[in-house]
Amino acid sequence: MVQQSESTVDDATLDRIFAALADPTRRGILSRLGESPATLGELADPLEMSLTGVKKHVGVLEDAGLVTTEKIGRVRRCRLGNDNLDDALGWITHYQKLWERRLDGLELYFTLQKGVGE
Amino acid sequence: MTDETYDLTISRLLPATPEEVFDAYTDAEKQKIWFSILDESPGIVEIEVDLRVGGEQTAVWGPNRDELFRETQVFRVIDRPNRLVTTSTGSSPDGATMQTEIDVTFEAAEGGTLMTVFQSGFPTVEMRDFFATYAMVGAFDRIEAYLVRQ
Repeated sequence: MVQQSESTVDDATLDRIFAALADPTRRGILSRLGESPATLGELADPLEMSLTGVKKHVGVLEDAGLVTTEKIGRVRRCRLGNDNLDDALGWITHYQKLWERRLDGLELYFTLQKGVGE
Repeated sequence: MTDETYDLTISRLLPATPEEVFDAYTDAEKQKIWFSILDESPGIVEIEVDLRVGGEQTAVWGPNRDELFRETQVFRVIDRPNRLVTTSTGSSPDGATMQTEIDVTFEAAEGGTLMTVFQSGFPTVEMRDFFATYAMVGAFDRIEAYLVRQ
């Protein structure tokens, strides 16, 4: 559920995000990764950029938490997001189930009490 | 930037008065009863409550000693029987923690009490929202405009 609330992202994190997004090459990399994960080589080719160059840009995006990379064999695979985001989603799911359990328990508790009282 | 975030809201109409619900929700012994009332097999549920502003409620639960969740809530607002606000720190068995704000309201309604839980402060999800809003839809011009204004 989307609600309005105060910002909880610290300024340093936002600075890194904005700095990462300020560069058109890095925005191009994000758009490409929005389609599907890609290796550094697959990112470098359309940009006509060296692997070292694209690696540097991906590093900035990774520091900002916008991209995650994983070394698979001899190649480094990049995708949008980071593990922290998955962790946060896991917590929300956990709490959703916890609250449902609590409210189910309370409902049964009062229903049983009411039954005993009647 | 966007100030949207994913928060958790869940409501339930309970067949009792707001006072009864508030007390059952905050009393340690009653909590142990209703928290485990649905369990098919006995697990571990330990709850301690110091119901005063600045006081803590600690709940530990799980199927066994090796898989325990822990939640410590610090009471911020205690407005019996209307509202309870806490800062919650949850810990999973693998040691990960998450700090959130929990705002619970108890409203008299037809048939009993509408209990509503609003939990906020899942920080990295806001970042994901920010990302989804600005980066994924390709609205980079807005970010450039923002940067130009800085």
